[in-house]
Amino acid sequence: MITTIAVQQVRGLMRQRVFVVLLVTMLAMTALAGVLGWSSHHTIVGVYDEAVKLLASRGLPAPPNPFLLKPTLSLLSNMVVYIPLIGSLLAVVLGHLSVVDDEANGIGRLIFSRRLTRTQYIVGKMCGAAVVLAFVLAASLLVSWLSLIIVNRSLPAGADLGRLAAFYTLSWLYLMVFALIGMVTVLATRRRSLALLSAMGAWLVITFAVPQITSGLRPTQSLNPIVDPAGTSQAFFRYTSNIRPYSLVEQYKAVSGTILRTAATEPTGDTVRHIAPLVAAVVALVVAVVVLVQRHDYSRGSSNE
Amino acid sequence: MTAQPTTLPAEDLSTTPAIELRKLGHSYGDTAVLHDIDLVIEPGEIFGFLGHNGAGKTTAVNILTTLLTPTSGSAEVCGADVVTDRAGVTAAIGYLPADVRMYPHLTARENVEFFATLSGLADPAGATAETFEYLDCGDLADKRVGLFSTGMRQRVGIAQAIVHRPRVLFLDEPTSGLDPSGVRQLRETIIDLNATHGMTVFMNTHLLSEVAKVCTSIGVLDHGELIYHDTIEATTARFPNETSLEDIYVRMERTPS
Repeated sequence: MITTIAVQQVRGLMRQRVFVVLLVTMLAMTALAGVLGWSSHHTIVGVYDEAVKLLASRGLPAPPNPFLLKPTLSLLSNMVVYIPLIGSLLAVVLGHLSVVDDEANGIGRLIFSRRLTRTQYIVGKMCGAAVVLAFVLAASLLVSWLSLIIVNRSLPAGADLGRLAAFYTLSWLYLMVFALIGMVTVLATRRRSLALLSAMGAWLVITFAVPQITSGLRPTQSLNPIVDPAGTSQAFFRYTSNIRPYSLVEQYKAVSGTILRTAATEPTGDTVRHIAPLVAAVVALVVAVVVLVQRHDYSRGSSNE
Repeated sequence: MTAQPTTLPAEDLSTTPAIELRKLGHSYGDTAVLHDIDLVIEPGEIFGFLGHNGAGKTTAVNILTTLLTPTSGSAEVCGADVVTDRAGVTAAIGYLPADVRMYPHLTARENVEFFATLSGLADPAGATAETFEYLDCGDLADKRVGLFSTGMRQRVGIAQAIVHRPRVLFLDEPTSGLDPSGVRQLRETIIDLNATHGMTVFMNTHLLSEVAKVCTSIGVLDHGELIYHDTIEATTARFPNETSLEDIYVRMERTPS
């Protein structure tokens, strides 16, 4: 039964415009990250070449090429910004549509007049959304891989592919948080518009509000995967800094930085500590979705608007 | 068409009521919408459930299809309690709600196959094909439901409701939005399902003319109370001065039995 719901969910979502938008946006973001990485690489190497010529004309030794010191995957560091900003928004919409369609079309009444429990139904829905997100991120991984080949003009090492796969797996976990938020808000409210608005509110809080207060209002920390919290002696900021371990965006960026090697390498224990809030959020939201669906009223033809 | 097995043995059909309500009541908060309804519908009946808007007909169907839990009393479908034996009830019923839309991005075949699979059929594709053939709507099978008219959607809705050959078929305002030929086609389908497959039909409707042509018994619900229940023959005999079922219905609403 769970498989039936999941397969139907994947088939239904993949035929909707939102899926096309999600796929195109993610692929465009990935390609853009590659282009920006290439542009940065090209500019810096150009400046470096000019500097080498200048130094050589003066008989001075040239410093090493800065790009030789940079990790290969740093070309894709912009993805660490795009996924929390745009990917999560699309995941919210995906999660919302996964559940709201059955209500809007009155299909919930048909489904629950069959031999299917609500738990089976919602687990199937979550699996379907997870598969769709995994498909989109797998396509994104492929584009990333191609970008690296084009920019570097050589096949990246197997270890880099492993790191890239780990990064996209982490991104899938992160986006699942938002897909589940999209589901929770539909099941917790009776109005579709309120559900979407609430989910967007949660996205804003997680993506912008919490990082702002926990990172000491340093705008560069919202844009780059910098892991150091703001140093401050003020009581308010000391208090808000305590929330930082629970800031999902910052934990995601911290682990991404470690995986892509764009941040200082940290001990394995620290990485686990960063991932734990993401896993805990997914587990909590799964439980919330399963509990809420038991109480949700599917006897109505469509949700009130 | 190939009849599919259901969970109850065949001999139970003749001895167990298709539907049995005992002091059934339901309230939404402080608002009571069903009051102590006692009703027995025997297997093979085509039952017309009449009542004005808001009388509680859809609430009753929602309870009988396990979508709502009654706040008092009990209800059984083919001997299975709607609260304690949900699996038994859902194995025995088919349901076509009012204003059904189904999955607009999927084809009619994919929609019906989906519900056939949810019903636990061993060969959902085969059952779906047979159902489309039976309803003579094979031309719709591979088109997306989102492009369908109300009538076409209703035919696909009927297909999903009967694809697993239920013992009891619940239809909620099945003729709403249909043109006269669609209404006639639906009527013929209901009569054939009842005659050929022995399906008990429970139909919520406003169309008294349809009730007179299709149903074998009627019940009238008024403000959540069942004010009348009898066969069509007994009803017309009881009200000999009324020329139509509509007149009888209006009179019943004025003077409950």
